[in-house]
Amino acid sequence: MEIIHTDVLVIGGGLAGLRAALAARQRGHEVVVLSLVPAKRSHSAAAQGGMQASLGNSAKGAGDDEDVHFADTVRGSDWGADQEVARMFVHVAPKAVRELAAWGVPWNRVRSGPNDAIIDGRKVSIDEPAAAHGLITARDFGGTRKWRTCYVSDGTGHAMLYVVGDRAVAEGIAVHERMEAVSLIHDGARCHGAIVRRLTDGRLFAYVARATCIATGGFGRIYKVSTNAVINEGIGAAIALDTGVVPLANMEAVQFHPTAIFPAGILVTEGCRGDGGLLRDAAAHRFMPDYEPEKKELASRDVVARRMEAHIRAGHGATSRWGEHLWLDITLLGERHIAGRLREVKEICQHFLGIDPARQWIPVRPAQHYSMGGIRTDALGRAYGLDGLFACGEAACWDLHGFNRLGGNSVAETVVAGMIVGEAIADFCASERGELTVSTALIRAAHDRAAAEFAGLAAGLGAESAAPLLARMQSIMTERVGIVRHGDALQSAVDELQQLILRSRRLGLRSSRPGANPELTAAWRLQKMLKLAQCVAAGALQRTESRGAHYREDYPRRDDAGWLKRTLARWPAADATQPEIGYEALDVRRMELPPGWRGYGARDAIEHPDTAPRQAEIERLRAELAGAGRDALQDALLPFRHRLPPQLRGANARLGDPA
Amino acid sequence: MSSLTEIRDETPPPLTDAAVRAAAPRRNRWPARLDVLQSLSGLFLALFLIAHMGFVSTILISHEAFYAVARFFEAAWLLGKPYPALVSGVVAVVLAVFVLHAWLALRKFPGNLRAYRAFAEHRERLHHGDTSLWWLQLWTGFALFFLTTVHLYGMLTQPALIGPFESADRVWTGNLWPLYLALLFAAEIHGGIGLYRLAVKWGDLAASRARLRRARQAFSAFFIALGLVTLAAYIDLGRAHADRAGERYTPPATTEAR
Amino acid sequence: MIRLFRKAPDSGRPRRLTASVLRHNPADPASAPHWQDFVVEEAEGMTLFIALNEIRATQDPSLQFDFVCRAGICGSCAMLIDGRPGLACRTLTRDLGERFTLAPLPFFELIGDLSVNTGKWLRGTAERLRTWVHAAGRPDLDALEERMAPELAEAIYELDRCIECGCCVAGCGTAQMRPDFIGAIGLNKIARFRLDPRDTRSDEDFYELIGDDDGVFGCMSLLGCHDVCPKQLPLQTQIAFLRRRMAALGF
Repeated sequence: MEIIHTDVLVIGGGLAGLRAALAARQRGHEVVVLSLVPAKRSHSAAAQGGMQASLGNSAKGAGDDEDVHFADTVRGSDWGADQEVARMFVHVAPKAVRELAAWGVPWNRVRSGPNDAIIDGRKVSIDEPAAAHGLITARDFGGTRKWRTCYVSDGTGHAMLYVVGDRAVAEGIAVHERMEAVSLIHDGARCHGAIVRRLTDGRLFAYVARATCIATGGFGRIYKVSTNAVINEGIGAAIALDTGVVPLANMEAVQFHPTAIFPAGILVTEGCRGDGGLLRDAAAHRFMPDYEPEKKELASRDVVARRMEAHIRAGHGATSRWGEHLWLDITLLGERHIAGRLREVKEICQHFLGIDPARQWIPVRPAQHYSMGGIRTDALGRAYGLDGLFACGEAACWDLHGFNRLGGNSVAETVVAGMIVGEAIADFCASERGELTVSTALIRAAHDRAAAEFAGLAAGLGAESAAPLLARMQSIMTERVGIVRHGDALQSAVDELQQLILRSRRLGLRSSRPGANPELTAAWRLQKMLKLAQCVAAGALQRTESRGAHYREDYPRRDDAGWLKRTLARWPAADATQPEIGYEALDVRRMELPPGWRGYGARDAIEHPDTAPRQAEIERLRAELAGAGRDALQDALLPFRHRLPPQLRGANARLGDPA
Repeated sequence: MSSLTEIRDETPPPLTDAAVRAAAPRRNRWPARLDVLQSLSGLFLALFLIAHMGFVSTILISHEAFYAVARFFEAAWLLGKPYPALVSGVVAVVLAVFVLHAWLALRKFPGNLRAYRAFAEHRERLHHGDTSLWWLQLWTGFALFFLTTVHLYGMLTQPALIGPFESADRVWTGNLWPLYLALLFAAEIHGGIGLYRLAVKWGDLAASRARLRRARQAFSAFFIALGLVTLAAYIDLGRAHADRAGERYTPPATTEAR
Repeated sequence: MIRLFRKAPDSGRPRRLTASVLRHNPADPASAPHWQDFVVEEAEGMTLFIALNEIRATQDPSLQFDFVCRAGICGSCAMLIDGRPGLACRTLTRDLGERFTLAPLPFFELIGDLSVNTGKWLRGTAERLRTWVHAAGRPDLDALEERMAPELAEAIYELDRCIECGCCVAGCGTAQMRPDFIGAIGLNKIARFRLDPRDTRSDEDFYELIGDDDGVFGCMSLLGCHDVCPKQLPLQTQIAFLRRRMAALGF
């Protein structure tokens, strides 16, 4: 057994993991990042449209600030978000954009004078003030009241990941590539690192660390049609689930992106609609204004995706040999705009569809896109259940997004959470609790257990093979645990997933070879993914309401009285076929923005008894503190600054600030 | 080496600017100079090649014309009497530039069999015009090293023997026409590719590469055609003059006082 | 190259494609490089991503290859397709013949079959060329950001679009002969940071990094890089530009 010691072990080399690693490294801790692939190939690179931060530089962003961003985020989450976290997030997001700007991200900039734009299908001219010239500009995105999404053409994630990745090189952070964490080393109370498998040759290593941070992204690949990269199998969340003590939260909150190209499921950015693109049906009719007169194509993703599916079900879908879809029309944006600001979209259309989006409509249909759920952490990224374990980014349920995340908030979350959680990791390492007191026997046991697991799989003579089971699971998830859900279908999904879990314990491998063994790797991952899928399905079955992206035909109303709570799923035992589901309530009496109507979508929520009193209390506080200044009011409504690292507490400067 | 140390090896030391500066002394400037020299010497040789073809092809106009050109370089018009050594001087300069260019270019040749094979395989599978052209450039350059040396040595040692009969005799009776034929192809192809390469190496012309490629082909084709006709003229003259080989040419109505 | 006008799919029976894959498992002492044919039935819109996954799922579970984003964004799946470097995920089989070859990228360390270790080389390159903005001090995160001309930001992004797939290095004749050659990836990065006003390094500093025959002067302008780059980066222009700037420092 080979043991590698480090202060901080970060599992996952995407934006969240790298940024957290940087924060810990800058505080003087030794950091090792594990990555399935070279870090710059992480799925963060696929974030196209942009990152939300309330800079308010552009004319259409004027008047934007943390308050507006906060309210948009909470409404977008359908009140599922942790409002303290949302406050921390919107406060740090401008700092994150500015830090990235200083590090080299070539954010698109405000060009003073008249700028052509398309709004609501009409060509308009936006006059940008000279004072803003050269500052970071923003585009419109769904579910936001201001143009707030900072962007780099439509390669925002790429530009961010490269800058942060190179920063990690500059800081001398080791990235161990093609390494997969296969289990956490823990004693039921404290995490001591992970057992790690080298994918190129299957060797196991024990990485022993004072703090371990999981930043492995989402689990979109449990679905058949997903915009996610093929590495997004949720293994980081699964090894946390395997501990039996760390819960995964809100796993049923799965986002479907309205515009994935059909049928390949490759994403075309929300920026297409933000920049003025329209959705059309088989009859070329622009249908979104019929359903959503307020925000039209730019309602939140859950609403648009649901409306699209409903429109297809109502018989308005265009048909192709693969089935039904709708059209995304960006021809009205013009060739120049597309070649400049939507060039990835243009390339994707050319290579995968053989069409020119400046002339032809893009066939689209919603596809799985994002996992709001994940490893449940507190506001500082500390995982529930195990000391010394942290999580950030999509892998975590930090709970910024609740039941629906706004476009542009996730790539922002990666860096913002990285900044905050990385500091918390550094604090932990510097504290007494951060000292390592692991016994070699514990490491040995964890290593031997993992070795036995792989040896057992490799020697398995069962009749089942992984590929068909994986395909079956993905079909079940897409068909029965998708955009529109129903109790009966969910029950049958849970039942069949149970069967698949049992079958996955009787796998037989066809190949055995030295070095990398893709078949063994796939078989091992299948078992983990099935558990995640079961957490999603079981959580969805039990949640008898509709909230954000979780929509139940049989329970179509949001039920704040009964369901304003976060699902927590734990895996009770290795031989279990279902998670144990528990809940933690969201406290309305501590909310800065009590539940209400989102400004789009349905208006028929069942009210929580605390909502009215809290609303009254807020109004009282606002009246009392009318002249006391924004900070005093904030501290009365929802204090959050004290949770942030000191260097991230300062007020964000904006263009119109009094000098 | 255990795999543990392999993993450890991936951990780089902190890269401070000061550490890097201390570790690496200021780089010397010779790579820059040599690169410019390689291009400049190539440009010089290509221009010389064009001019040279201009001179020798005057045989197509008339014997007198070529004779006049040849004598021009002996500078009798300037110094009162001809100095064939001046021609040797020019040849020596060209030879020097040629050797310099060859030496500079040799640095780019495959340095060993492994490199040679790697490039050959690469060219074979890539089917890429500009890559294949370099292979051609390399082989023509290699050939030129021998062909040009023979030719220049002759010019260096016998500068006075340049004239319609003298040159024609050398081509035919001296049995050098196969050498000149090979030299013609090698030089014009190499020169054409070289000029093209200079343009893409230093210029800002990604968009006009297709045009540039056509220009390169036209260049080589034109000069090879001109060279072939010229060589044919010398062969023709050499055959007619074979029985009087060695006879010096005197222009029909020379007023030159010897 | 972008092909907007593709061959129309043949009517009737789908084609039976033969993918000839160069296989080798360096971890197995008994393994020697050899070509192995796989036959798959072509489907409408089939990419090499789909075809290779189908082969692995139904014919040979041990076949190694790398895909991540499968959308032409991450640069993981570069390989030699009929001898030419390209991104497998966005190569449609209908643009290939009935028989085609797939081989790993040359130049990089082979992991197995079609999988190569680009990451290791790229990390080394980033360290060697110090590919990050060199600025003094930490930025003030509370203050307004530094301004930048919109055109300049766009010009930087134009060069920042490199996805480090390795196609340019695999298409480079110089790199095949000189394993230490920095390649178009490295040169383009230097051009990108040189353009960036936030980077305080001077041409003298850049000369230290690329002013030799493993750097810009090693480039023989064969333009394989320029012609195979899946992102159509203006590599010729950038390398010629750097050559002019760096050469000027020699005098």
